[in-house]
Amino acid sequence: MAFRKLNWLMAAGLGLAAVLAGSPTLEAKELRILAWQGYADDDWVKEFEAQCGCDTNVVFIGTDDEIWAKIKGSEGKDFDLFAVNTAQLQRYIDAGLTTPIDLDKIPNQKATLPRFQDLTTVKGVMRDGKLHAIPYAFDAIGIIYDPKKVSSPPNSMTALWDPQYKGKVLDYDNGEHNFSITALTMGVKDPFKLTPDQLDAAEKKLVDLKHNVLSFYTTADEALQLYQNNDVAIIFANYGQQQVKMMKDAGLDVVYVNPKEGALAWLDTWALTSGVQDKELAESWINFVLQKKIGEQLSARTGFGNTVAPFASASDSDTLVWLESVEDPTKRADLWNEVKAAP
Amino acid sequence: MTANESLRRVAARPARGEGGLRKRRGALVSAAAWTLPVAFILVPLLLFTVQSFFQVEGTDIVYRLTLKNYVRFFTDPTFYDTFGWSCLLALGVAVLTVLLGYPVAYLLASLGGRTKYVVAFIFVIPLLMSYIIKIYAIRSILGGNGFLNRILLQLGLIDEPWTFLVFNLNAVLLTLTVLLVPFAILPIFVALEKIPRNLLEASADLGASAWQTFRTIVLPLSLQGVVIGASCAFVLALGDFVTPQMVGGVSGFTFGRIIYSQFGTAFNWPFGAALSVILLLVVLLALVSAARFARPRFTA
Repeated sequence: MAFRKLNWLMAAGLGLAAVLAGSPTLEAKELRILAWQGYADDDWVKEFEAQCGCDTNVVFIGTDDEIWAKIKGSEGKDFDLFAVNTAQLQRYIDAGLTTPIDLDKIPNQKATLPRFQDLTTVKGVMRDGKLHAIPYAFDAIGIIYDPKKVSSPPNSMTALWDPQYKGKVLDYDNGEHNFSITALTMGVKDPFKLTPDQLDAAEKKLVDLKHNVLSFYTTADEALQLYQNNDVAIIFANYGQQQVKMMKDAGLDVVYVNPKEGALAWLDTWALTSGVQDKELAESWINFVLQKKIGEQLSARTGFGNTVAPFASASDSDTLVWLESVEDPTKRADLWNEVKAAP
Repeated sequence: MTANESLRRVAARPARGEGGLRKRRGALVSAAAWTLPVAFILVPLLLFTVQSFFQVEGTDIVYRLTLKNYVRFFTDPTFYDTFGWSCLLALGVAVLTVLLGYPVAYLLASLGGRTKYVVAFIFVIPLLMSYIIKIYAIRSILGGNGFLNRILLQLGLIDEPWTFLVFNLNAVLLTLTVLLVPFAILPIFVALEKIPRNLLEASADLGASAWQTFRTIVLPLSLQGVVIGASCAFVLALGDFVTPQMVGGVSGFTFGRIIYSQFGTAFNWPFGAALSVILLLVVLLALVSAARFARPRFTA
């Protein structure tokens, strides 16, 4: 009797030890994802779980800082992969919080849109010859205009300065982006690392721009309201396709265009954490969501561009300039205040 | 000492034992009354005053005392010009709210019986609504294709939409005045209410005209309310960082906006704190001088 009891105890102890050790033979595989809302929808997750025979645990975040807090806070151990934009990604690579990705494990990457084919040309995802992230979703920050109010369709941000639209321009209230687009119109190669002279020149141009502007806006909603109640011809569209959709839903006839000198654009990617438990499983998730069907659904549901199916965010011939951290955000904010305070 | 008085004294004297309890409870209540303003007003004010003597290097706040932030304010025209201009704007709003609020308060005070309180309450209702919603509404009314312009165009009163009402200085003055006028109406109304009727009757009996009565009796006696109303409007307009931006277009850049940007995009909290301290000093000056002026010097 006593012997049998001991046996039972030993069996229980062994079982417990196996569970604690996370032995893959006794426990279903688990994938822990940290992502923005809309990047890992329930129907995709269910399909993926059925395919891989694993459990998926998705946590959604609301801000860039929240991602940092969660990934840095656990030194990468709480998640296997996370969604992050290319500008933010750099500090994760700096801090050693990412694991390089094996491109062979992601065959669907081969079928992506032309601009994402050669990842060495996508600024920010590679470091020292290693691939740290796979592009997933993006949107460009171009121009929205009213076709009835423009003499010829604008194709450059310089249209914001055009005197014929004086008092009919809406500008997004943000120093960083305004300096970047101005630098692009000036033909500067890297709009995110401006020299003091370039900043100075851009500031002068922005004071001119201010005199052409009806009002600044901060949210897409606000821009819509301003547009509806005033004679507006052209908008610096910080919220890209979401803003276009919002305006079209309100019954407005507007056109979106990416400027020829290059449109600022954000690019969200998938990156593996330094604490990834099952690297192949995480890579198979990235491969899974790079399907055409999912790309189309992602765009239809969120209004963002995806990397596999063509969408209104940008045509293949458009030049996109992926956003990076700027040389000195405080300096740009101060200069932007100067622009706004200038007579 | 009348019997009544001695009875009251007896009743007021606490029973033995109960006195200590009551005393302690009194101390507790006054401690609680002090705790709240100290914890939630004085300590935060002190904290950001201290913060204003730090500085930012790169993206980090360096806890080394410096006067740099204040020097920067007094040497860069972006800051002191914007500050001066914001003070002028707030002053303009204060004058306008009083000019608009006074007649309203006067009419209110001259209404009879309970009606005046009901009407006064109606004027307070806008204060219960969200500030942002009111600004949005005003913007929809005044915009180039806004409500007002559409009505005027349809009535054939104008051929071209008016654009001078929005995204300029007029719009800022107009909107702030509309938003803040209740703060002027109420104290003026209260001041007018307190003027004893018999003074007005005496004035009329002595043959003064309505204008003379107003000028020599009503206006001086209601000046307290005017000063309180004007200083409230001034202080609120000076600190506002939303309205000028939303209706002022490119000319809606005020000091509040600069402070706002220091805590947001610029990420320079110490400098933002220094600017806030400067703003606070001017606001305190306005309130203290108003309080001095408004102190009753005689009783009617």
